[in-house]
Amino acid sequence: MHEKNPLLSASKRERLGSRYAQRARAAGHLPAVVYGHGQAPLAVNLPAKETLNHIHKGEKVFTMAIAGEDQTLVLLKDIQFDYLGTNIVHADFARVDLNERIHTRVHINLVGEAVGLKTAGAILMHPTTEIEIECRVTELPDSIEVSITDLDVGHAITAGDVTLPGSGMKLITDVHAILAQIVIQKEEVITAEAAAVAAEAAQPEVITAKKPEEGAPAAGDKAKAGDKGKAGGSGGDKKK
Amino acid sequence: MALMPKRVKFRKEFRRVRDRKATKGNYVAYGDYGLQALEGTWLPARVIEAGRVGAQHFLKREGKLFIRVFPNKPISKKPLETRMGTGKADVDYWAARVKPGTMLFEIAGVSEATARSTLARVASKMPVRCRFVKRRVTV
Repeated sequence: MHEKNPLLSASKRERLGSRYAQRARAAGHLPAVVYGHGQAPLAVNLPAKETLNHIHKGEKVFTMAIAGEDQTLVLLKDIQFDYLGTNIVHADFARVDLNERIHTRVHINLVGEAVGLKTAGAILMHPTTEIEIECRVTELPDSIEVSITDLDVGHAITAGDVTLPGSGMKLITDVHAILAQIVIQKEEVITAEAAAVAAEAAQPEVITAKKPEEGAPAAGDKAKAGDKGKAGGSGGDKKK
Repeated sequence: MALMPKRVKFRKEFRRVRDRKATKGNYVAYGDYGLQALEGTWLPARVIEAGRVGAQHFLKREGKLFIRVFPNKPISKKPLETRMGTGKADVDYWAARVKPGTMLFEIAGVSEATARSTLARVASKMPVRCRFVKRRVTV
């Protein structure tokens, strides 16, 4: 938790939509929205450079001074990226109180050199890099450090093993969620049988393809039968 | 072994629009580092396989490689010196639809330097411009 929340001066966004948001970005603003506490959501423009600096530093709680309104304490809830994931194009903030308990995601820092990594072919996998906790706004941590020094092959550190830094913090993520584990890479061995099966399945099975019925005439016979049907299916025959 | 679907609903497919940006599959989700396409293409199965082989030879059983694209689009091609008409041609190869921003490969369990050199090797085999990326900032 940082000593002092950074101050962001925001202006209301009168015109909404992607086109106006694009113009705001070109003018050096970051489009954002502030919501929560039973009030109507408010679209705002923030100074892009300053806001992004704070976000990249890991700040989550801000004091927002919106033009024409009182200063409010806000929590960064979500950020949107462009299609390449390079630039932040929009941010969501939720109004909070200092004593309010909030749900937030905190980054996990794995510390130390695991014992199991000395085994040949062992790699450290961390499927989840963050956990969700419930805590007061005042005790919100930047990240949680987890020591993996004793981690051996076949063992895992789960969310339940993490010691939360504050006494009032509560873990929301499933306690069985794996944060770090050491696995041994298995080399793929393609057997002759598997290769033969693969060669057989050179084309995928078509689900909607019509299957030939038992006792059905061959393709050539079908064509002949079709010709006969055409010849016999004249209007004169029907009248008779 | 060429990558292709096991079962499909239809044998052949329309060409469809290609000029869209990736809105999903465009961030590092499984590994620590990734190779991101900056242009759109139909990436043939053999190119994906070439990338996989190139990466795994370089890694020498170190780390884990994730392939984030799968060739599920049949591409048909008429034989040479054939007159036009007489229906759609047979399937020539299977390709993955790659849009600008699509994550092609990811690597976990190696240092950044190793990941960079591995993915640079893979990128040289790709028919599109690619770049090396890390995990995004999360809230």
